Amino acid sequence: MPSKYHDMVELDSNEYIFGEEGGRGTPASVFFKKIANMSQKSSKKSKPKPEPSESQQITVGAGRSHAEHISAISDAQNVKKKGKKKQTSSERKQEHKSSSGHAHHLANMAEHNDSSPYFDLDDDWDTNFESTIIPKANARSISSSNTALSKPEPSEIAAKAERDELNSLVSRILKFQTALSAPTVDIDQLRNLSWSGVPPDLRPRTWMHLLGYLPSTAERREKTLAKKRLEYFNSIEQEFGNEGSMNQSMWHQIAIDVPRTNPHIKLYSFESTRRSLERILYLWSVRHPASGYVQGINDLLTPFFQTFLTQYVGTKKVEDLDPQQLTKEELDFVEADSYWCLSKLLDGIQDNYIHAQPGIHRQVQKLEKLMTKVNSELIAHFKSENVEFMQFSFRWMNCLLMREVPMTCAIRIWDTYLSEGPQKFSDFHVYVCAAFLQNWAKDLVNMEFQDLIIFLQSPPTQDWTEKDIELILSQAFMYQSVFKDSMKQ
Amino acid sequence: MSDEYDFLFKIVLTGDSGVGKSNILGRFTRNEFNMESKSTIGVEFATRTVTVDDKIIKAQIWDTAGQERYRAITSAYYRGAVGAMLMYDISKPETYENVNRWLSELHEHAVPQIVIMLVGNKCDLKHLRAVATEEAQAFAEENKLLFIETSALDNTNVELAFQRILTEIYHQHVEQNLLHAEFGQIKAPEGPTINFTEPAKKNSGGCC
Repeated sequence: MPSKYHDMVELDSNEYIFGEEGGRGTPASVFFKKIANMSQKSSKKSKPKPEPSESQQITVGAGRSHAEHISAISDAQNVKKKGKKKQTSSERKQEHKSSSGHAHHLANMAEHNDSSPYFDLDDDWDTNFESTIIPKANARSISSSNTALSKPEPSEIAAKAERDELNSLVSRILKFQTALSAPTVDIDQLRNLSWSGVPPDLRPRTWMHLLGYLPSTAERREKTLAKKRLEYFNSIEQEFGNEGSMNQSMWHQIAIDVPRTNPHIKLYSFESTRRSLERILYLWSVRHPASGYVQGINDLLTPFFQTFLTQYVGTKKVEDLDPQQLTKEELDFVEADSYWCLSKLLDGIQDNYIHAQPGIHRQVQKLEKLMTKVNSELIAHFKSENVEFMQFSFRWMNCLLMREVPMTCAIRIWDTYLSEGPQKFSDFHVYVCAAFLQNWAKDLVNMEFQDLIIFLQSPPTQDWTEKDIELILSQAFMYQSVFKDSMKQ
Repeated sequence: MSDEYDFLFKIVLTGDSGVGKSNILGRFTRNEFNMESKSTIGVEFATRTVTVDDKIIKAQIWDTAGQERYRAITSAYYRGAVGAMLMYDISKPETYENVNRWLSELHEHAVPQIVIMLVGNKCDLKHLRAVATEEAQAFAEENKLLFIETSALDNTNVELAFQRILTEIYHQHVEQNLLHAEFGQIKAPEGPTINFTEPAKKNSGGCC
């Protein structure tokens, strides 16, 4: 059994199972530079700039990027060296707000234990996992029970837990980095790593590998990419070259849907974004006449477009980016890569979009069947209220929950789906929908028909972070392990 | 709060993609309007309660996706509906031309006595008008439809449109004794088809 399975079982009861901390990061190069600085115990001060606007950007509040955690540590070290006891800047507050508050504990750690090694880069992720969660749980129970303990001090335990957790993050990123830089990328290894989330900076390349868009052998990569991109450009020229031959009704539908795509994210309000999305969607649609363009496919394109843009602007800024700030070549590449990856994704779920949408009907039925096993009380309640699964879960299937959770969460879900292969977008997705529904079950059983439907149409996930979605994913994994066989019958 | 009602009427919103179905619903049920709201996938739902002849009527409104591909799922919602708002965009002639297709969809799947209202939306776009009020009005009369022009954007006639269709449904059913008050719902009648009388509407449906 792959080690991740072991993780998952544990994970169900513990949110730290996935480890991945932040939704957004800084470029990998900066990150690794910071690690290098640290290990050399560089006295150079690399203070993270407090950016007030940034705290607003971190809408999901999942915490800071790895690089920031690390620079926070080096800050703490530097502060100590200079004899200052306090870290006062606003970033400290920011760290507190984050769910784990690494910097705070790390600052304590620096004060308590100067000789402690901060990083064990060879640390094994799985081993680390154990040591990460256990002390943390202890620390909590100690503080909550108010028991007076002399040794070790709770802050030390907490600090160790935080340190271990951070170590495992670093180790994880390094594993991704190593896997991706191998002459021949080991896709299985990459899949195993990706199940628990891909570091934002490495996501574009990881996704391209997982989808089979990027060849695993290094020497073929450049050539293949160039070829695919050229193919895309030529196709665009061909399809858009003669306006008279365009499929007008298809074009019309795309043209009215693109301005309605993610209207809450600034990136999608810019003309250059819209032109790119139109071209991609139109080309895909005319090349796949069995389904053509179906509303909702526009949603599925956006995680690719947004993720691939981060190669040029970093993950933090992408949602406010006017893509015109990129060079034409860069934007063309993003567009071409998005097209091909969308195609790969849709290849696995075409049944969802062909006539009568049989794929979606199958999945809705499967979800209902699964829920009778997961929570028969809820199902009985639905029946008594005449709630049908089709009424609320059609869109869950059609847009892969993208309409129900924030973009960062959707992207995180895709890490896991992609790690299991494109067909998992229909298979594992049903289990995720079940976990998602079960998440609200306690509220739902007390609601009447109309409140139920209205609630499920817009569940309160606005403030969800990757941690929330990771709990759903681990729950889904558990359902899959338990019910997979009986679902086949 | 929302549970007190005398009758529950199910209404569907249909019509081409982009004519403003979701926005008229948002305006009526939440007094909201989004210039760029997301496209509707499948069917979405909202409710509002209004008073008609001292009776409290709860309108349960199903907003359907306009795209052809969703026809299979959306048409399933026509079945239980006692009213339908068939919408077009007064600035987009093709959305008006498609009204006939929507009408046959409704006639195929809905109960025969369903009350249908033809709604010309976006009447704030005066300078872009491409469908004459008189033409649509004549079409509506010919096909025994209620008719009104609305603007979800500037909130013209939205309230009136819903009030009128709900009143019409209520009256039709009172006349024909179709109300099953003990269930607080209208049931599809059994037995022979009941023909609708011409909706009583003297006032012009135009808004601008």
